[in-house]
Amino acid sequence: MTLMFGKAISYGSVWDFAADESVVESQRWILSTMQNYGQELVTMLWRILGNEQDVCDAYQDTFLQLAHYEGGRKPKHLKAYVFRTANNIAISMLRRRIAERNKRSRPFTTASVSSPAREIDSKYLQEALRSYIAQLPEHLRNVITLRDLAELSYSQISTILGISAATARVYRCKAIQLLSVWMSKEE
Amino acid sequence: MRVMKLNNQCKRIRTWLYAAISRRFGPEAKWLHNHIMYCPRCQHRLVSYGKVNLALSFMKSQPHGLDLLMRANTQAIAVLKHSLRREPKAQKLERKLPEPKLLERCSHYGHSAVNLAACIVILLLMKIGVFSSMGNLQTQGQKVIKQYYVKQVGEDLADEIFARDTKPPSTANSHGVVNA
Repeated sequence: MTLMFGKAISYGSVWDFAADESVVESQRWILSTMQNYGQELVTMLWRILGNEQDVCDAYQDTFLQLAHYEGGRKPKHLKAYVFRTANNIAISMLRRRIAERNKRSRPFTTASVSSPAREIDSKYLQEALRSYIAQLPEHLRNVITLRDLAELSYSQISTILGISAATARVYRCKAIQLLSVWMSKEE
Repeated sequence: MRVMKLNNQCKRIRTWLYAAISRRFGPEAKWLHNHIMYCPRCQHRLVSYGKVNLALSFMKSQPHGLDLLMRANTQAIAVLKHSLRREPKAQKLERKLPEPKLLERCSHYGHSAVNLAACIVILLLMKIGVFSSMGNLQTQGQKVIKQYYVKQVGEDLADEIFARDTKPPSTANSHGVVNA
């Protein structure tokens, strides 16, 4: 009986080991993705969120979603998937943060007295722009984050978003126009 | 070949058109400057564009902690399957620090590369100069020696000795002198 039990355990562990190996084989690309795009992703997330803990959380969520994509299958356009997922997660986090801040205190946009010192206050400007970027329509927001915050080329953006490079240029122009209108309204 | 030529022509025309249009209608155009100077609405727009650009540059220039990538990788790897976490690649990622891009890395050596290229060019020019001077010296020397032979042994013999320009003077000399 003990012998049989021992054998069952050893077969079990062999089975586990084999399963482990197959998981490693089938999902090793996740680590390669992390290696290839990790740095660019962290930079983009940092610029969108401006908070290191939030960056780590968004990065973690991105790879968690990637690992569970269609039962652990590799997406066809990996870079596009990773960047879009990270972007969406970061924007959701940003919106949540802004909503929480607005609940706690006065909303950021109807803020305070404008003064020349405030105009060039780096943190103030950054936070204002972040909150407006979060309010942009999705197609414009995607272009502005990928072009200006992730510093990708228009051809890369066109591949990621599935639009032409010229359309991406037009979207960026519109996004900047909208942002500048909102930024000037704030005064 | 013809297609390439056409492409080059297209590129030239495109560049020329772009330059012409931006000169006339670009942000550096004089009429635009004059207009903005007296139009409060445009001034306002320009200021707000500047503000957006300034905020974007602030966002880009804000540095993050050096270990942020390492921390993000560690946190992300912690939620992956056990077997993946044990991979040597995963352990490497957990210690990974941000690396500058190839262009940024090369930019440090830019000055040295330019200096090296300048030195090589100078050396090449010197070499070309030295060789051409040597060639001149050789032809001048040949002329002088021929003159000497014309004086000493007569023009016919001198012509015979220096019949071919390619013949080195030493060979001509040894044959010529013996013959003379």
